[in-house]
Amino acid sequence: MTALLKHPGYDEEKLRRVAEQLPCREVQAGLLLSLMGEPQQYSYPSIFIYGHRASGKSHVLHVLLKELELHHATVSCVECVSVALLFEQVLLSFFGCDAASLLPHSPSLSDFVRIYRQQRSQSPAKQTRYIVMEKAELLRDSDANLLPALLRLQELVEDNVTVILLSEIVWDKFRPNTGCFEPLLLHFPDYSKGELQQILSQDRHPSYSAEFYSSYINILLGVFYSVCRDLRELQHLAALNFSKFCEPLEEGKVKETDTHKLWRNIEPHLKKAMQTVYLREVSSLQWEQMQLMEEKEAGALRGLSAHTHVELPFYSKFLLIAAYLASYNPARTDKRFFLKHHGKIRKTNFLKKNEKTSNHLLGPKPFPLDRLLAIFYSVVDSRVAPTASIFSQISSLVTLQLLTQVSHDDQLDAPKYKCAVSLDFICAISRTVNFDIVKYLYDFL
Amino acid sequence: TPHQATPSIPCRSLPTRQPANILEEARARLHVSSVPESLPCREQEFQDIYSFVESKIIDGTGGCMYISGVPGTGKTATVHEVMRCLQHAADVDEIPTFHFIEINGMKMTDPHQAYVQILQNLTGQKATPDHAAALLDKRFNNPAPRKQTTVLLVDELDLLWTRKQNVMYNLFDWPTQRHAHLVVLTIANTMDLPERIMINRVASRLGLTRMSFQPYSFKQLQQIIMSRLNKVKAFEEDALQLASRKVAALSGDARRCLDICRRATEICEHSTTNPSATGLVGMSHVMEALNEMFSSAYITAIKCASMQEQLFLRAVIAEFRRLGLEEASFQQVFVQHQALCRLEGLQPISVSEGLAVCRRLGACRLLLLEPSRLGVLQRVRLNVSQDDVLYALKAD
Repeated sequence: MTALLKHPGYDEEKLRRVAEQLPCREVQAGLLLSLMGEPQQYSYPSIFIYGHRASGKSHVLHVLLKELELHHATVSCVECVSVALLFEQVLLSFFGCDAASLLPHSPSLSDFVRIYRQQRSQSPAKQTRYIVMEKAELLRDSDANLLPALLRLQELVEDNVTVILLSEIVWDKFRPNTGCFEPLLLHFPDYSKGELQQILSQDRHPSYSAEFYSSYINILLGVFYSVCRDLRELQHLAALNFSKFCEPLEEGKVKETDTHKLWRNIEPHLKKAMQTVYLREVSSLQWEQMQLMEEKEAGALRGLSAHTHVELPFYSKFLLIAAYLASYNPARTDKRFFLKHHGKIRKTNFLKKNEKTSNHLLGPKPFPLDRLLAIFYSVVDSRVAPTASIFSQISSLVTLQLLTQVSHDDQLDAPKYKCAVSLDFICAISRTVNFDIVKYLYDFL
Repeated sequence: TPHQATPSIPCRSLPTRQPANILEEARARLHVSSVPESLPCREQEFQDIYSFVESKIIDGTGGCMYISGVPGTGKTATVHEVMRCLQHAADVDEIPTFHFIEINGMKMTDPHQAYVQILQNLTGQKATPDHAAALLDKRFNNPAPRKQTTVLLVDELDLLWTRKQNVMYNLFDWPTQRHAHLVVLTIANTMDLPERIMINRVASRLGLTRMSFQPYSFKQLQQIIMSRLNKVKAFEEDALQLASRKVAALSGDARRCLDICRRATEICEHSTTNPSATGLVGMSHVMEALNEMFSSAYITAIKCASMQEQLFLRAVIAEFRRLGLEEASFQQVFVQHQALCRLEGLQPISVSEGLAVCRRLGACRLLLLEPSRLGVLQRVRLNVSQDDVLYALKAD
């Protein structure tokens, strides 16, 4: 099925091995090979490769450069927090540690070019050298001259060197303001469903037949393909859930060919996996342990997001409730909610245009401290003295990130806050103090 | 690196050629770096500066002078000429001997380096800026027998500005000391520099001895060129007049005028087929040189831009007209661009190509753009006037 990669200048045997390791990426690999040319030929100065996550960008390059034994340096821009590290890695993998030690303490680009040229004249390139930059979008945040210089490094160092940039972002968002040498753009498209099926079916379990594993992958893709096309994620899920799929087979209830029964068995399990282990609510280890324990239903374990309950002091709860009411109610309705003798005001006749949309959609509004305290006193039944502890509880709610201060930190008079908790959270809190918060929310009137 | 490395310009492998014909001779004489025999049209300024410095030297007192004028009016050249004449007078014992030091603000990495340079020129000592300042302070504040007068020329004064202005303060404070025997001549471009950037105690020490160099009039420019050429007959009379009138109308910059004349001789040389028998530089040659110098590069750039780039500029202007603003986001402009493409019967381009076109126009500064990571939301502004763009697009 694999169309053999062909290019003069490279060993047939090696190319065959490359093609075996790159399923569904022959077109891109062939294109890259033809761009690289024969080892001793000059290649294009810079190539920019973009595609979604897990579309095989690094893998294709890695396999090509490794199997064909080409001179290359792979640099991840995440690791290189300073340009010094980047230069050091490139020099290290091209010329050995002697060259890297020549770099001064905080090297500039011209230092790098100078040392590179010096080393290049001592050991001239017999074949193209490749510098592969992974996560190249981070290059935009480093010095303004780094990206333009890398794009025309071939010219600068006068050596047979090619810079390959890998990124998930399109080239349009890379161009510096002052212009630069335009690299060759190469796109890696997403894997289609068929291609995913083909790749995932390759790493089958040795004790089961290929058709059996392939039917499992088919079911898995049927459940997950609509939400996830990331190959790595799917591989992870396939590995996690396979033992559950094989369970009825081991117990001897069904045969390998009985696909329908196997599907009936695994499908609810996979649906549950989507809500738990795919969202990382439950870790993979916990998921595996749950599968072992028969009596415990999968998903009965409380996930990460269920742990949102926070123990707060009594008045802090009321302060938080008051803050939530102040954030999501318009100030003009306060009188109606919190005063005893309000006139009868219907909702419709004082609606402003922007108040017609739900405040819960627009997000919380900032409110001043006075309003928070006023609502707090009317919400709490007993008399509360405005002691230092009440005010310190407000500021500790800010440090817990349940409230956020919107004005400047140093503003002591009339600070403004926003409430940063969700409706579910505040409902849980108000239930613990027997306060019906929905009755006081303008949106649910 | 070896110790005491002295950087040097590589030597010429061949000596400079002798001028072969009249035009080359004229070009050599018109070059800005060739020192003229005399400085015409600056006799009054020369006299003023000369008498100022001479009187201070003879009296053995100190003082400051502030010289201003737009670039190319002969400030530095005049001061140098004065110093040459005074040096000559000192050599023949007409006036007491003195020490001349020159520093240039543009040539210093840091304003405080001024102290180091002055000290090195005075005594040959090397010191850190702080130490040099202390040594200079001691030297200028304490009496010493048979002290020579020092004449200090500070060029590009505005670059010596620091936040506390201590460099300027010291430079202007030392001449007021009794024992300093220091004359400071400062040169800058703007007339009101002391009022604008100096605090009161610095400006008052600078004093009121000010001189401003007026831009040259066309007659003066003509005279300068004539004196430079010195009977070499290379220009027609009208051609010289045209060049000097044009320059005088714009800036009155003598260097600019010399540049234009030199360029005109080159054009004249290229236009004749026989290199040995060259004619005089005529009006047409000067006109061409003037056009090269003064015409806007932007209009040429727009005229030479590709079709899509021109179309994009058209779209920018159309969008500005629609919005009534001088700013639009890329996506608004791009909608216009696609409409224009259809109108012209072209295949509409993709967003990526549109962004590439926009970036290329931004890289040659026809447009002002925000960073490209904003994508289609980046705002676009024109760096040239709309009239210029329309003129350039219509001209074809």
